[in-house]
Amino acid sequence: MAYALQQLINGVSLGMIYGLIAVGYTMVYGIIGMINFAHGDIFMIGAFIALISIVMVISGGFMEGPGALLLVLAICMAFTALYGWTVERVAYRPLRGSFRLAPLISAIGMSIVLQNYVQIAQGARVKPLEPQVTGGFEIMREGNFVVQLSNIQILIIMTTLAVLAIFTWLVTKTPLGRAMRACEQDRRMASLLGIDTDRTISLTFVIGASLAAVAGTLYLLRYGVIDFYIGFLAGVKAFTAAVLGGIGSLPGAVLGGLLIGLIETFWSAYFSVQYKDVAAFSILALTLIFLPTGLLGRQEVEKV
Amino acid sequence: MIARLGGAIRDAALATLVAFGLFVVMVGLRTDVAPGGELFLRQRWADVALLCALVFAGRLLVSLWGLRPHSLGQSPGRAALTAKLGTFFAPALLAFALVLPFVPGIGRYELDLGILVLTYVMLGWGLNIVVGLAGLLDLGYVAFYAVGAYSYALLAENFGFSFWICLPLAGILAAFWGILLGFPVLRLRGDYLAIVTLAFGEIIRIVLLNWTELTNGPNGMTGIPRPTFFGLPFSMSGEPDTFAGFFGLEPSPIHRVIFLYYLILVLALLTNWVTIRIRRQPIGRAWEALREDEIACRALGINVTATKLTAFALGAMFGGFAGAFFATRQGFISPESFTFIESAIILAIVVLGGMGSQIGVAVAAIVMIGGFELFRDLEEWRMLVFGAAMVVIMVLRPRGLVGSRTPSIALGERRAVSAAHVSEGKG
Amino acid sequence: MSAQLAMPGTASAGPILEVDALTMRFGGLLAVDAVSFTARRGDITALIGPNGAGKTTVFNCITGFYRPTAGALRLHRDRGGVAELQRLKDHNIARAGVARTFQNIRLFPGMTALENLLIAQHVVLNAATGFGIGALLGLGGYRAAEAAAVGRATAWLRATGLIERADDPAGALPYGAQRRLEIARAMCTAPALLCLDEPAAGLNPRESEELATLLRAIRDGAAAEGAAPTSVLLIEHDMGIVMGISDHVVVLDHGKKIAEGPPIVVRNDRHVIAAYLGEDEEA
Repeated sequence: MAYALQQLINGVSLGMIYGLIAVGYTMVYGIIGMINFAHGDIFMIGAFIALISIVMVISGGFMEGPGALLLVLAICMAFTALYGWTVERVAYRPLRGSFRLAPLISAIGMSIVLQNYVQIAQGARVKPLEPQVTGGFEIMREGNFVVQLSNIQILIIMTTLAVLAIFTWLVTKTPLGRAMRACEQDRRMASLLGIDTDRTISLTFVIGASLAAVAGTLYLLRYGVIDFYIGFLAGVKAFTAAVLGGIGSLPGAVLGGLLIGLIETFWSAYFSVQYKDVAAFSILALTLIFLPTGLLGRQEVEKV
Repeated sequence: MIARLGGAIRDAALATLVAFGLFVVMVGLRTDVAPGGELFLRQRWADVALLCALVFAGRLLVSLWGLRPHSLGQSPGRAALTAKLGTFFAPALLAFALVLPFVPGIGRYELDLGILVLTYVMLGWGLNIVVGLAGLLDLGYVAFYAVGAYSYALLAENFGFSFWICLPLAGILAAFWGILLGFPVLRLRGDYLAIVTLAFGEIIRIVLLNWTELTNGPNGMTGIPRPTFFGLPFSMSGEPDTFAGFFGLEPSPIHRVIFLYYLILVLALLTNWVTIRIRRQPIGRAWEALREDEIACRALGINVTATKLTAFALGAMFGGFAGAFFATRQGFISPESFTFIESAIILAIVVLGGMGSQIGVAVAAIVMIGGFELFRDLEEWRMLVFGAAMVVIMVLRPRGLVGSRTPSIALGERRAVSAAHVSEGKG
Repeated sequence: MSAQLAMPGTASAGPILEVDALTMRFGGLLAVDAVSFTARRGDITALIGPNGAGKTTVFNCITGFYRPTAGALRLHRDRGGVAELQRLKDHNIARAGVARTFQNIRLFPGMTALENLLIAQHVVLNAATGFGIGALLGLGGYRAAEAAAVGRATAWLRATGLIERADDPAGALPYGAQRRLEIARAMCTAPALLCLDEPAAGLNPRESEELATLLRAIRDGAAAEGAAPTSVLLIEHDMGIVMGISDHVVVLDHGKKIAEGPPIVVRNDRHVIAAYLGEDEEA
């Protein structure tokens, strides 16, 4: 029981990170109908920028405490967002309205570029960072087993909830959000109604990248080691999460992220660590076969 | 002109500003691990300045040159021209491939490169059946390549079967896996299919990695039997029952390389022959019809699932053949050879070549793999160049090198169908 | 056999399709409510009604794109026997002898007109190839089958005036030609029942007139060389066409059948006029 509770806590905090990345996938998919394959690498870039800013701000001794972390987060979001914007501008916008596979190949190319760019710029070696947020609470004790809710897990959960709250407000209550939803429904109609669709799509990528930056920062703080390759697996799993939740659905992405996090954690805890990714992917395949639109996706009626 | 120059400079300045934002942190500040284990930053402002200058110059040139992507495929006239060129180009290319080992100055290195390129040509042609003809987006094609390679290795090592028995078995096993994996997922729509195939590719790799008793895990399988010339081994001993001894040749390691070269050439040509023939058969036409409009296919009585499965299984089978060849050529395989990036490269070859075009795929494989090899001195930079090339080619030619389609049958003269009409499927 | 073929338009012919209490429900919406009618062999039967009456839904049930909530769809085969369409998968419905066209044309745009018509004969051709294997090896049986298929396709290209465009991609044809090609494609499946979803939509008056002639010829088996008489079921908005060519008209409104009969009767039916003019029936 205590063991399961601990896994639940671990799973939720991991799932929140997946959820944050998944939102970026689902937003882009909703608005331009493409798999932004480079999004996982944007997350990786976010983690690297967070690493550099932490070394600069905290280890450099400029600031300490929660304020410093907030500053790191702000730097990270700003610079990662710029990467998101550039990727869309360079690799996707020229292909808008083109054939379906062209943007996908372009995205895969971009993903390769970003990985190797970071490998060249920051080196191929794994970067270890000493823990920045330590300590935690003891929730319960069962025999020798102590259920821990660590501060970093609290930080992950709180930050994710806060970011998602801001994001939800942005999408539902602001003119930008309205424009985004309009583009999602019917891009041509939206542009006829005077919505600058290029700008809206750009902003979608900027927001998606900012959320990935938050995920990257939290991932770095939680796990402490990153390399240029972390984006691929995280990206695939986050996309899995987006599909699981029903692609195009924002709450679905978060839900899917949580589920993938939980499945992975529980599978590792009770069965085998080696096959945790197999578990996540198998769940994906099963969901799609039996529930083709995901958990919260819209049913698409086939028009004939 | 002045206004244009002014606009271009302003554009370039903006691009430089963005570039500065991109590079200032990632390039300007490099994290390194100190001997004590903690991280420190190294500053590299000169590199940032250099990159910004490059971006400025590059952007300026692009806007002055007016380098713009093609809006929509090709005009019919150009499509016809490409097709005409293709009729001469393809036999020339084939003739070149046939005589390559005997061209003076072609050594072992060039032949090895030729073998590598041909392997990708074959994989590209195999995947072309699935993606180019049937319009099914498969991001896990490497799984079948892996199944073929491991089937060969396991059958040869555990049962001592020869290459010529293992090759068809590897293909059949891969096709079987194609059907097994394809059956539940082929009714999924486009991107869902893509992600599930990707997931299957990863699952197979992870299983190969962790099922140590069978596959020896990450260490891979060594000592895979090398191919024999229909029973005659390639050996340096010069005994009468070796290839060199039997034909009275001076024993040389190049014999095996030449043999492997022709082996993969024949396998690739087999793939090509089967594809070209099937495209003119009802089943091949049904694949293309499926790519064009699945609902209309159903209304015409075509069993969509069975049709998709044949495409999937056939593509997988050729992947399996290629895998068996890969295993016998390397003599060593490990899960590392079957990562997602391989699938991405093969898919890129198909799309860059022009979906459905056999010659386009061959040219794309030569350009991508040959080009990749050209940059081998650049080490880690070459992957960067490779990825960038994918983006640039897509932006400039979204329909690939050969976007037009040749009809499978005609009453009169066969005329190429311009890319603007050909769809690429949603499945 | 030919003696049994009834003259077109006569009431003596047996049914080709019986729609029996067909009901289709989407969630809470009752789109089709216990509709029953019979299409007779050798007739052109028209299904009409105002927008949202449920015509296309009935159509999609017959052709297998929707599975009905309740009711039965019985197709009487040429050789006797009945196929229960509601139990078949869509591609088997086509194989049972129901061919259809689509409201917004669904050709294979990147393939030539001829190729479109050959794909329509896929089921026959594929069997002749030994499911791909025989043809791959170049066995002779397939050549004859393919020649026959090309012959049939050519006949239908002539019948629809498209023979000059045989080698052009379907996507490059003008709109009216695409409509005709889609009908030719459906006919190449050698159906017992041809279902047309608004075949005259978007056609100019001259093209509409040609269409009417073509449909009559299809019914009588005179459209193309070697064509058999084919019963037709169509949905149409163009009343000129419907009244001009139909032998039997079924009128739907709000998912219910409100009238049925020969065009002349239906045209003067009080309920039908009310439904089209939007008047209150009780008035």
